[in-house]
Amino acid sequence: MALYQSPQAVPVEFLAPETEGVVVDLCGEEKNLHRLEELGIRCGCKIRMLCPGETCLLAIEGKKMCLRLGSTAEILVQPLTP
Amino acid sequence: MANRASSDRPATVALIGNPNTGKSSLFNALCGGQARVGNYPGVTVEHKTARMPLACSTFKSIELVDLPGTYSLSARSADEAVSVEVLCGEMPSVAKPDAVIVILDATNLERNLYLLSQVLELQLPTLVALNMWDRLGKEGMKLDAQKLSESLGVRVVCTSASKRFGIAEVQSALLEILEKANSTDSRGVLERSALASASFPKAFLESVDELEDWFGAQGCPLERFQIERLLIDDSQAHSYRVIPKRISSEVAQRIATTREHLATQGVSIPLFETRARYGWIKQRVVGVVERQVRERRVSTSDRIDRWLTHRWMGLLFFIALMFLIFQSITAFASWPMDGISFGTQWVGQRVEGMMAPGPLRSLLVDGIIAGVGAVLVFLPQIAILFFFIAVLEDCGYMSRAAFMMDKFMSALGMSGKSFLPLMSSFACAIPGIMATRTIENRRDRMVTLLIAPLMSCSARWPVYVLMVSAFVPKQAVLGGWVSVQGAVLFAMMCIGALVAIPVAWLLKRFVFPGAPSTFIMELSSYKWPSFRVVAMRVWERVLSFIARAGSLIFVTSVLVWAAAYFPGDHSLLDQATARLEAEQADPNADEAKTQAWTSQINQLKSDLISKSYLGMAGQWIEPIVRPLGWDGKIGVAVLASFPAREVIVATLGTIYSLGGGQDETSQGLAENLRSATWPDGRPVYNLATACSIMVFFALCAQCVSTLVTIRRETNSWRWPIFSFVYMTTLAYLGAWIVYNLMRFWLDP
Ligand SMILES: Nc1nc2c(ncn2[C@@H]2O[C@H](COP(=O)(O)OP(=O)(O)OP(=O)(O)O)[C@@H](O)[C@H]2O)c(=O)[nH]1
Ligand SMILES: [Mg+2]
Repeated sequence: MALYQSPQAVPVEFLAPETEGVVVDLCGEEKNLHRLEELGIRCGCKIRMLCPGETCLLAIEGKKMCLRLGSTAEILVQPLTP
Repeated sequence: MANRASSDRPATVALIGNPNTGKSSLFNALCGGQARVGNYPGVTVEHKTARMPLACSTFKSIELVDLPGTYSLSARSADEAVSVEVLCGEMPSVAKPDAVIVILDATNLERNLYLLSQVLELQLPTLVALNMWDRLGKEGMKLDAQKLSESLGVRVVCTSASKRFGIAEVQSALLEILEKANSTDSRGVLERSALASASFPKAFLESVDELEDWFGAQGCPLERFQIERLLIDDSQAHSYRVIPKRISSEVAQRIATTREHLATQGVSIPLFETRARYGWIKQRVVGVVERQVRERRVSTSDRIDRWLTHRWMGLLFFIALMFLIFQSITAFASWPMDGISFGTQWVGQRVEGMMAPGPLRSLLVDGIIAGVGAVLVFLPQIAILFFFIAVLEDCGYMSRAAFMMDKFMSALGMSGKSFLPLMSSFACAIPGIMATRTIENRRDRMVTLLIAPLMSCSARWPVYVLMVSAFVPKQAVLGGWVSVQGAVLFAMMCIGALVAIPVAWLLKRFVFPGAPSTFIMELSSYKWPSFRVVAMRVWERVLSFIARAGSLIFVTSVLVWAAAYFPGDHSLLDQATARLEAEQADPNADEAKTQAWTSQINQLKSDLISKSYLGMAGQWIEPIVRPLGWDGKIGVAVLASFPAREVIVATLGTIYSLGGGQDETSQGLAENLRSATWPDGRPVYNLATACSIMVFFALCAQCVSTLVTIRRETNSWRWPIFSFVYMTTLAYLGAWIVYNLMRFWLDP
């Protein structure tokens, strides 16, 4: 929990409920990243965590999306302090 | 001006867009079509065409094609591949589109423009429909459509497809575009320099040029867009399917060396594409979208989601909801059912009154009216079930349920994506199996497709309801709130799903092993279900149920009747029946005499049926079904219901109508079943037999259409045969276990 308050980028799963972050990097296999970007998950977009967990519920630029990437890709976000 | 000559054919116009943006709604609005609409991604999984009633000077008419939703033209799942195939003119049954309507969700413009940027590369006349226009205000957004049209260089129309707003504008814009396409040299498409691909790295564009020449020299000319996809997508992708076999290894080689070359030039495939396209999008939307800066507050939708997607509250809600639905179906359906049942009996009696006993009357009364009527009785159940399904599908709950179920499905190695096809199989396995097209992971898709027929489809309802209403006590428990019959029905609905869990696990473990799949799914917004959508879904289903009763069930009823009627000599029976009817017509008839005639008729009837072809088959099959508590008649009825499960109700209807055992007060099939006896006088049916029949039907694969659909979707007979064998084995074992447990429980 301490992590998300740090100014460093963290994996999106670490966002606490109802907090926001900006995507700063995507890592993993490129074909998976290509898919994520096509779906609008790309650097610079704003993500709000709605329901954390292994499968999490996010609001990406206001649109709700559920996500479970496992070890295939990682979304790094810079938490925004409210 | 070669186009001019083509004006005597219809124009083909494709509708494409991201999932759940309202393509099918617009399709229905434009051509009065009946495409299925629902508020979750992946409702449409195959192309659907309809003619648009529009007069166009350049084309004879307009053929509109509704397509599955896709986020991009690099297709990853079978439904997305359908869209790409139609757009590129590779689908054999659809002509290459003359124009495209791209539907964009106005409330999510940037993401939706990604697909548009790819469609524009196809160099087809394009019209943009900015749908969900009515939602913009609610989301605190403003959009300048004129400005967007200018910056894109494409005609833009604002629409609200579900509210039928902007439809006339789409029609007139479409006509304009089609006419322009035929009259100008540019066909009204964008210059190459205005496309997103113009900003691709130079080295990449040069490689595409080279490959374009190379493919031309090989006698397999490809469009630029197709070559770009070959270079960008991985070798499993749909784009590779256009390559003829003879050059496929050479192509693979060329692509690999080109990619290596590009890597040395600093082009990172595939990610440069998304970056270039979003760069293009960013330029196009400058000053187009205006978002009100509102103080962020928790919206109603968020508040509902907090409950519905809660770890266990959500699950509890889901189970309670299903239970409630089954309870209310039993409660609401009973009086219309009685009405239909009364109606068919009335018709049967009228026919009996009008005709003398004989084969024709028997065919009409025992074969058709008793058979088809027995199935039609369940129409209200089907209508109410589909009403609930439509409401659930259109309010936006389905994608939440899929999210919740993902936790559970991932434990089986699958994902929440499999949940929607399975849920849809509760209505009917065929659309459920088709819906597995949305699952990207092939192994997951196969497992889902193979367990989908285990979900309790609506064709099982007649079997369950018949058995439950005849043999489960009509009681209410828990203070009168829960009916026992409804609870047993609910249990039957759950059996298939519960059995599917170990089956899925085994399949995933031993037949389709592989890494656990990932899960990404967009959640639709909540909304009130639209009356039109719900009514259409119920209506469509009611019609198809009646059509089935009038075709498949009609035919099997007649066949079963023939098997049960011939080859016996019915003259004695006909005489006796005529005497009895004369007796009954007499107001001061002798009660004892009537009784005597009735019992003689029943004796004759049961002799005749046991000597009929069906009776002979029954004797042959009886040893096999005896362990399940069935007699030969049930065995034959089950065998005859191979084409479809609900046929069993019709065949039982016919068999017991022909086979006697009723008295004059007999009230339809349920009553006939209760009075059926073994030769030694014991009743054939009791709760244990009823449960064994229900469990058999819960697990068996008695549905030809399902097997054919599995064959079509997997391209092999292996899987339908596999499904049939494993499900029939499960059904037999399940029925045997339940029969013996129940017998022990009822009579220890
Ligand atoms: N508010 C609003 N809702 C709409 C509009 N158009 C469609 N809908 C709703 O959006 C949902 C999706 O509609 P569909 O027509 O099934 O969408 P689709 O694009 O065909 O979806 P897929 O086939 O799953 O890709 C339905 O619940 C519609 O009633 C609109 O203009 N405004
Ligand atoms: Mg659709």
